[in-house]
Amino acid sequence: MTEATKIMKRVPESLTEIEDYMKERVGLGTSFDFGIRKIKVLDREIHFYYINGLVDTLFVIRSLEELVNLNDFHDEEVDDYFALIKNRINHQSVEEVKYLDEAVDQILSGLIAIFVEGETKVFVVDTRSYPGRTPEEPDTEKVIRGSRDGFVENIILNTALIRRRIRDERLRFEMLKVGERSKTDVSIVYLEDVANPKLINSIKKEIEAIEVDGLTMADKAIEEYILHQGYNPYPQVRYTERADVAATHVLEGHVLIIVDTSPSVIITPTTFFHHVQHAEEYRQSAATGTFVRWIRFIGILASIFLLPLWLLFVLEPELLPKQLDFIGPKETSSLPVVIQIFICDIGIEFLRMAAIHTPTPLSTAMGLIAAVLIGEIAVEVGLLIPEVILYVAFSAIGTFATPSYELSVANKISHLFLLILVSLFKVPGFVIGTTIIIIFLTSMRSLNTPYFWPFIPFQPREFMQILVRRSTPGTIVRPAIVQPRNRKKQETS
Amino acid sequence: MDEKKSNQNQQAKSLSLTATTAITGFIGGLFWGAIALFAHFFKFSEIGPNTVLEMWAVGDWRTGWIGVVVSLLILGILGIGAAFLYYFTLRNMLNIWSGLLFGAILFVLVFFVLNPLFPSLNHISELKFNTIVSMICIYLLFGLFVGYSISYEYNAHMEREKNQEMKEVEKSS
Repeated sequence: MTEATKIMKRVPESLTEIEDYMKERVGLGTSFDFGIRKIKVLDREIHFYYINGLVDTLFVIRSLEELVNLNDFHDEEVDDYFALIKNRINHQSVEEVKYLDEAVDQILSGLIAIFVEGETKVFVVDTRSYPGRTPEEPDTEKVIRGSRDGFVENIILNTALIRRRIRDERLRFEMLKVGERSKTDVSIVYLEDVANPKLINSIKKEIEAIEVDGLTMADKAIEEYILHQGYNPYPQVRYTERADVAATHVLEGHVLIIVDTSPSVIITPTTFFHHVQHAEEYRQSAATGTFVRWIRFIGILASIFLLPLWLLFVLEPELLPKQLDFIGPKETSSLPVVIQIFICDIGIEFLRMAAIHTPTPLSTAMGLIAAVLIGEIAVEVGLLIPEVILYVAFSAIGTFATPSYELSVANKISHLFLLILVSLFKVPGFVIGTTIIIIFLTSMRSLNTPYFWPFIPFQPREFMQILVRRSTPGTIVRPAIVQPRNRKKQETS
Repeated sequence: MDEKKSNQNQQAKSLSLTATTAITGFIGGLFWGAIALFAHFFKFSEIGPNTVLEMWAVGDWRTGWIGVVVSLLILGILGIGAAFLYYFTLRNMLNIWSGLLFGAILFVLVFFVLNPLFPSLNHISELKFNTIVSMICIYLLFGLFVGYSISYEYNAHMEREKNQEMKEVEKSS
């Protein structure tokens, strides 16, 4: 950015000068979506500038009508033309702006600018209407019961969904603009008297320091700027598309980051165990919720450890105690089991990736091909032994039972790492690999929060909350990990 | 007035440092003992938690499931001791390395110094490689668990106290 462009241009009195400016700078006449409407009201020119896809045409027409009507029904002397016009713009959100650059920014985000001949101020009216969907249940976080309104791509609707749930006067939505060209809106959400001010400030500073032309990948890009993740596969923030989950975390003292154009909201700070919980658990009774959670834990553990362990027993059957010596392949294939597991595992990965971008009508056919042809026939041909398919399938289902997609993929990488170590070094490989994974998870810090909390560092009460889904009246304090200013959730007598 | 009351409540509710240290040590001993049991069950390691019972060397029950439960409990209690050992030596080091170092020291202590206490525990040169690796890893992780937890708790405690003092200074000024 050069110094010259930094100096803001004031709104000139002459409307032709403004038009020239718009032609030169914003491409009026070149870009088809940038429009101008000129009207004459009481012998003075008024120009409307707008982006045709982003404004609500109905409102614009109504304002135009109101202004043009002045010509027919206003016969008194006009002493303050500007005030008269302002009075006739029938919209609740009207601002006066003195600089052209500011007005242009506003026009480009979907507001209309109304320039009045001979005035050095311009009206900016919020007639935004963005193309987008209405709130619907997010695909990634379904529940059997519970609210079905998920976040959408529009930041205003998203903040409204949270405000609907927390009508507290201390709830704050701070707005920042990121991106030299995209000027994306980013909002930081927190409860003023609860959230940790240090965390809020550090997030704000990181966001303000971002220098980028555009944020087309919205929240993910912001996350990478804030957390400096590098090549670490483990997710350092939790995403949610559910408004109730977001609101719960705000009440717990977390800080949320909402990025315009993305239907997922970033929850900070998060730990490993934030990724293994699901809204469904809080929709069932505490006992059922706990049960569901335990089963989920087993699934997650299986997705990491089951295959490496089984491979270990195949490679060294003498490790098995007498009660379990039925484990291990009965048939043999000409391929070593390690290779078979990798083939099968990679096959599952193909399937998962293909399922993401296959159109729904085709994906049924794809599932059929994968299940029947590859599974059955691979065994008949003698490529794979049935046990491999059984264990790989089990561990894949464990992957799908992981509530956080990001975590499930990261676990998959850990699992491949362990498989390689086991196939090379057997028992020491498994033991040392597991130790490395645990030490690695413990050493991670996301926004100054230990990642493996509350297991390491161990906090008894908080860890119980992970193991057992407590009933809502039973959760009196906020989790210590967010370092809340106000620890108590409920004032108990 | 009201605020003061709720502050007091909070303090009563958050556990004292010593209690946290004790609980952390106990759970640590229990949990990593259970992991050791798992490792023993699958013959990763010749040494299981039962080995600790040999100090007293009584009857047949120690090889059965009662032996397992009792040995885990004993490991838990030993864990408390280890936790306090850490608390009195390394508690102000807030990083994972001090915990890992502590685990390594414990390993050396048990396998080189306290070795004669356990009749069936061979000298380290006679143990299988797998056993040594498994044991080192379990000790490292136990050390990390206990060490990092205590350091973190201690640090958080000091922070809270500092904030409390600052608040009081603000109030009185």
